[in-house]
Amino acid sequence: MGAGFVVGVLGVLFLSHAAYSTIQYRSLLKITEDEFTGPPINVVMELIAGLVLCMWAALTVPGKFLSILPQSDENRVVALPSNLDFMIFNHRGKAFPLSIDAKLK
Amino acid sequence: MVSKTEEEQVNRLEGQVENGGGGEWEYLCLVRKLKLRRSFNVLKYGLSILNNPKKRSALGSEEWTLYEQVAIAAMDCQRLDLAKDFIKILAEKFPESKRVGRLEALLLEAMDLWEEAEKAYSSLLEDNELDPVIHKRRVAMAKAQGNISGAIEWLNKYLEIFMADHDAWRELAEIYVSLQMYKQAAFCYEELILSQPTIPLYHLAYADVLYTLGGLENLHMAKKYYASTTDLTGGKNTRALFGICLCTSAIEQLTKGRNKDDKENSQLASLSATALEKDYKQRAPNKVSLLASTLRSLKLSS
Repeated sequence: MGAGFVVGVLGVLFLSHAAYSTIQYRSLLKITEDEFTGPPINVVMELIAGLVLCMWAALTVPGKFLSILPQSDENRVVALPSNLDFMIFNHRGKAFPLSIDAKLK
Repeated sequence: MVSKTEEEQVNRLEGQVENGGGGEWEYLCLVRKLKLRRSFNVLKYGLSILNNPKKRSALGSEEWTLYEQVAIAAMDCQRLDLAKDFIKILAEKFPESKRVGRLEALLLEAMDLWEEAEKAYSSLLEDNELDPVIHKRRVAMAKAQGNISGAIEWLNKYLEIFMADHDAWRELAEIYVSLQMYKQAAFCYEELILSQPTIPLYHLAYADVLYTLGGLENLHMAKKYYASTTDLTGGKNTRALFGICLCTSAIEQLTKGRNKDDKENSQLASLSATALEKDYKQRAPNKVSLLASTLRSLKLSS
């Protein structure tokens, strides 16, 4: 958990640094009165790196993913609940009462 | 709807508690949530919790639910004296409670005092005309006295009012199957599948009833429903796989001369046969030869 968390924080830092450099680049362009066609290449590389790090952290930090398919091995229905509303006590178990000592108060 | 993980959890907890490893309260909660009928264990471990004043006070307000659960388990294990004690304690704590009144009537049922129980239920019904649990208990009483047709009558009346109660539909289907009234049972299972289409066990039961009814149409439908059961359980339900093989061989016997759609029929059957063999090799390797000879006789019987 710790490593994933650190990677996530690193990714967020990368992204915010890329945003800051883009803003700086735009103000530079305003001084030289050039058009803003897109951020410089190194900012794009930084963005991609930040994206990869954040995605990796988002997938590893939450822990084990649960299966959602109803026919997967964990989720498949194995038995129905016994119909307790219609339970009758008139069964063969009447002949074998549970023999443990009575309740203490 | 007990899933595989839940079943493993219950078995693990049961083993743990039996070997004295603690965890009784979780076991009892899980049994209550999954609505399993393990009265022996519930009574034993519930008593151990209730006799221990420290553990009892640790439960807080859930103590009373535990009393109810253990009272019903005691009735199931035919320890009516214990059940009487539990219900007395509950009645002292919650006088004039309908839930406790129901438990008392249940105790009368367990003691085989049918008229008194009937009277108690009718008096409880006077206060609340549409209490589904009491209606269901009346059906159960008729069933316990051996009056199956009376039970069917009561259950039909109940289902006219509460059409969405799938437990009642299931009970009606099982009663019809026990009386061999398969067409009515098929109707009940159809209702169940309509309301809960993702539970494979209803498909399986419906397919079983259709296969029992027989006839070419029903066999085709049964094969389809066995196939859908296999789909919904990821191929792990052995009974459905066997059902597919048996249906295919029965259909082949009925349509001896006419060879239509042979390819897809035989594909499905051979696939399920392969799956069965794999399953048997894994779980019961000494029975693989028995299975192989059975499957061979099914395929060659035409």
